[in-house]
Amino acid sequence: MSGTTIPPLALSVEHLGVTLAGRDGPLPVLEDVSFGVPAGRTLALIGESGCGKSMAALALMGLLPEGLRCDTGAIRLLGEDLAVAPPARLRALRGSTLSMIFQEPMTALNPVFTVGEQIAETLRLHQGLDAAAARAGALEMLRKVEIPAAAQRLDAYPHQLSGGMRQRVMIAIALACRPRLLIADEPTTALDVTVQAQIFDLLKTLQRETGTAILLISHDLHAVADIADEVAVLYAGTCVETGPASRVLAAPEHPYTRALLACSPRLRLGAAAAGPAPDLLEVPGMVPPLGQRGPGCRFAPRCELAGADCNHPPPLRPAGAGRAAACWRVGDTTLEAVA
Amino acid sequence: MGGNRSTLPAAPAKPASPAREMLRHFLRHPAGMAGFLILLAVALASLAGPGLYGVDPADMAAAPFEPPGPEVPLGADYLGRDVLAGLLIGGRASLSVGLAAALISVLIGVAVGALAGWFGGWVDRVLMKVTEFFQVLPSLLFAMVLVTLFGASLGIITFAIGVVSWPGVARLTRAEYLRVRGLDYVRAAVAGGGRPHYLILRVVLPNALPPIIVAAALAIGVAILFEGGLSFLGLGDPNVISWGMMLGQNRTYLLDAWWAVTFPGAAIFFTVLAVSLLGEGLNDAINPRLRKRG
Ligand SMILES: Nc1ncnc2c1ncn2[C@@H]1O[C@H](COP(=O)(O)OP(=O)(O)OP(=O)(O)O)[C@@H](O)[C@H]1O
Ligand SMILES: [Mg+2]
Repeated sequence: MSGTTIPPLALSVEHLGVTLAGRDGPLPVLEDVSFGVPAGRTLALIGESGCGKSMAALALMGLLPEGLRCDTGAIRLLGEDLAVAPPARLRALRGSTLSMIFQEPMTALNPVFTVGEQIAETLRLHQGLDAAAARAGALEMLRKVEIPAAAQRLDAYPHQLSGGMRQRVMIAIALACRPRLLIADEPTTALDVTVQAQIFDLLKTLQRETGTAILLISHDLHAVADIADEVAVLYAGTCVETGPASRVLAAPEHPYTRALLACSPRLRLGAAAAGPAPDLLEVPGMVPPLGQRGPGCRFAPRCELAGADCNHPPPLRPAGAGRAAACWRVGDTTLEAVA
Repeated sequence: MGGNRSTLPAAPAKPASPAREMLRHFLRHPAGMAGFLILLAVALASLAGPGLYGVDPADMAAAPFEPPGPEVPLGADYLGRDVLAGLLIGGRASLSVGLAAALISVLIGVAVGALAGWFGGWVDRVLMKVTEFFQVLPSLLFAMVLVTLFGASLGIITFAIGVVSWPGVARLTRAEYLRVRGLDYVRAAVAGGGRPHYLILRVVLPNALPPIIVAAALAIGVAILFEGGLSFLGLGDPNVISWGMMLGQNRTYLLDAWWAVTFPGAAIFFTVLAVSLLGEGLNDAINPRLRKRG
């Protein structure tokens, strides 16, 4: 899917650090996270539960929960650094240039307004449309997200729609102002399997139409393999591997990525197929909780290849072909392979 | 156009708005409807009654302590004034003070509670300190002080009652805002770029409103009682006849003329009862919907 020329980056996250204010000083939640989403392409952020994917997404939106703050690094959206943008600027960007859809379509729509009113509201807020134009725009968006009988659904309340339809409405709201970046945090987790596939298809279609870059957070590695162009793998708040989705998923470099892929039994491609026993559905061990991360490589305690040198944190280093990995072992093997 | 009774699950024909659903529930609630009808009757009687009955309530036309009879249906008080005429006109003061004071307390309470609950932090701490201050103040005494200082006019009395009775509404509103603020659709609205005033008024308020409506209905009852209490103590507006004033003036003659005390007392009792029945009906109409929406 990815062409030979990589388009300019819509979003580039550079050395992002997020901390949680604790009693004994700030606790790192994200450390030195870097990745980029090319314009009009999809980057998938993957990793186990609790490794910081949602916090990364919220940091981009400027919506970190209370107690968390982004204190290092840059978040460049079309060149503009959001990490230092004033709140009013962020508010103007949110919902128009930068929008987000959430995991729970059942609860993410306001129960007291019709779906038409909720889509129209975004258009009025960001594009200053009058009521009639906003309503027409809302109808057009409902058609775009392929909701049957769109004209009637315009006046439906959220509780009258199914989960899949509500998520379509959320997508309509998020895309109404043609954002340059759409963040989708597990957009299909709450939906049943057939609907999940439809939603991913819809996102792909709309991306082709609007050229929106998508930052997708998902545990569904099949979907990731299917729709992502790029992948960034997070582990315990650090970025351990990035690169083109097809290559990373087929031949993971980082031991963590390898273990993660091995957990997805139907996705045994390339090197992952030769991995551990097929009945293994979990990476052994646990993600270290906040404040209990060691000084060296975060994955070392669970890693088969860990050695003494892993007591120093490995930086994210280029690993060939647009890829990068944060592992002392990776450099060795690539060098050997190249030699 | 007309409401379609049959609700086929798949047919997107006529979506029922949450507000309309609530109304439908309320109309089927016996206690709530009883309360509503009693209040309606009281309101109609006090609006149209004095004109229809045509007797001046201040006129000392009958003999003092004249018992109920064909001349004076509900008897006369110690000065020979017609109790029924007083009752009809007195409803105006009680209801208007009740409504206006409840409105004042709801406006203050919602504003304070919404700001505290939405912004949290120091805004919340300061506003809640102020709320606590008003809450621990003995409200009847405070209202008496206000009335004594500024004079016993109906406006001042209304204001005094409103000002002493908002803390409950503020706490309730704050709790609702704290609850709703964390819900997904509010986070989604924030992520959609909404400004604070838009989020507070358009996104959160309609969802926080149901318990506030119930509290407002109950506040009307409390305000009516409050006005009755002030008038009973002789702190009411001396130029306006109210049920509390009738009670207060006739209380020493209870054994000579039970009717002059009993009827105004009953009027207050039934009106306040009707208001709380109405509140109960609203509560039941609103809450099952919230539970269903989960
Ligand atoms: N509101 C919060 N306050 C403090 N810490 C939080 C908060 N929310 C999450 N965290 C912590 O931040 C870390 C990253 O959490 P995050 O929600 O980003 O994980 P995730 O990768 O999105 O997981 P999942 O796949 O389960 O959604 C976790 O250790 C979590 O405990
Ligand atoms: Mg998450």
